Amino acid sequence: MPEQQPPDDALLASLAARDLGALATLYDRYGRLAYSLAYRILGEGEAAEDVVQDAFLSAWRGAGSYRRDRGNPRAWLLSIVHHRAVDILRRKTTFRPAPLEMAESQPSDDDTALAAEKNVEHRTVREALEALPQAQRRTIELAYFGGYTHVELSELMGVPLGTVKGRMRIGLQKMRRALERTR
Amino acid sequence: MNEHVLDDLEAYALGALDRADAERVAQHLGGCESCRTEAASLAEVVGTLPETVTPRDPRPVLRDRILAAARTDIPRPAPAPMRRWSLGSVRLSRVAFAGLFASVIVLGAADIDAYQRTTAITAQRDQLYALIESLRQGGREWYMAGKGGFAGAGGTLYDPRADGKQPFVLFHDLPPIPAGKVPTIWLVSPDSTWARAATFRPNGQDIQAVPINMEVAGFDRCAVTLEDSPWGPRYGAVVMESRIAPPAP
Repeated sequence: MPEQQPPDDALLASLAARDLGALATLYDRYGRLAYSLAYRILGEGEAAEDVVQDAFLSAWRGAGSYRRDRGNPRAWLLSIVHHRAVDILRRKTTFRPAPLEMAESQPSDDDTALAAEKNVEHRTVREALEALPQAQRRTIELAYFGGYTHVELSELMGVPLGTVKGRMRIGLQKMRRALERTR
Repeated sequence: MNEHVLDDLEAYALGALDRADAERVAQHLGGCESCRTEAASLAEVVGTLPETVTPRDPRPVLRDRILAAARTDIPRPAPAPMRRWSLGSVRLSRVAFAGLFASVIVLGAADIDAYQRTTAITAQRDQLYALIESLRQGGREWYMAGKGGFAGAGGTLYDPRADGKQPFVLFHDLPPIPAGKVPTIWLVSPDSTWARAATFRPNGQDIQAVPINMEVAGFDRCAVTLEDSPWGPRYGAVVMESRIAPPAP
């Protein structure tokens, strides 16, 4: 009989109690995903590792103040990774809205779908994203993975700010409905 | 009541607001149940986006780095009250006593009084026992001499190479550390990757042992820096360092 793994909430409670084993389990569970996200945003392994280290240590130190209304532990941890990585991207003195072609090539991984197909949940999310009209999908990807603010995206894409907001809103609403249908 | 922020919630969930706007939205969410509910729902959708990235494996050393850094956060038991050392209170065998004495000589460490006070602290005594054992079993050591404001101080990295014994650095004569600075021990790989091995706070003693939860093998340099943060990459100036020679063939 396979050994039962502790749920994420229990792991965070153990982290708050300074249980290094719980931290190791949390890392084994989400370290790869966290690193993949950081790498996708930063495009560089060493910086991505630093972001992951910062995020797990933040979770280690902040587990006592974690509240469920911030999202489940996985989402909470990945949001820390995302914020840290985007902060680094924006702090780079050379960071400016890139030409549209360059910006699009950065977050678009052609092999992403192939790798994600291996997992049903990955495939569901991927399909929900890919089902969006291109403009909505680009806006969401450039914002989330490219670190662009909506104002920068407005300049980058040459459309009014209201259009950028509208694409984000409609795109995320469609994704939400698509994900709800599969649950 | 503040104006609702529904117009910005999608950008907020995607992290696509500048700092000022993000703070404005966060402040509103703190007092608005309806906006908070919608923000949580959007965050759940955005939280699925990491599932679309290409899976990549970090280097295995990252796990060790994280656990080592976390380990330094765990408060240690308060040291036993300082007391004068005596054979009656600390039962040392002749062999152990000889080993301890030899270790002090090897370390070039402080005077016998400092040695006596150090042995009165259980944790420190255990570290010295580990040192003795490691020296018996062919453990290795490298001395890092202090530079600049750390001139006169130093630290010896010990790699016990014995089952159940973890490496540690034995510092001596550490100067006061400037407020806000974090003394950090690093192991540096041949490709110049700096791995954070431990952070610590000086304990005010003449001698301080700092355990390292990493294998020394594979690194060719050790160093100590003063950092602004207990995590992240190295930014601080090197105040001690030593080359780690490979083991003799």
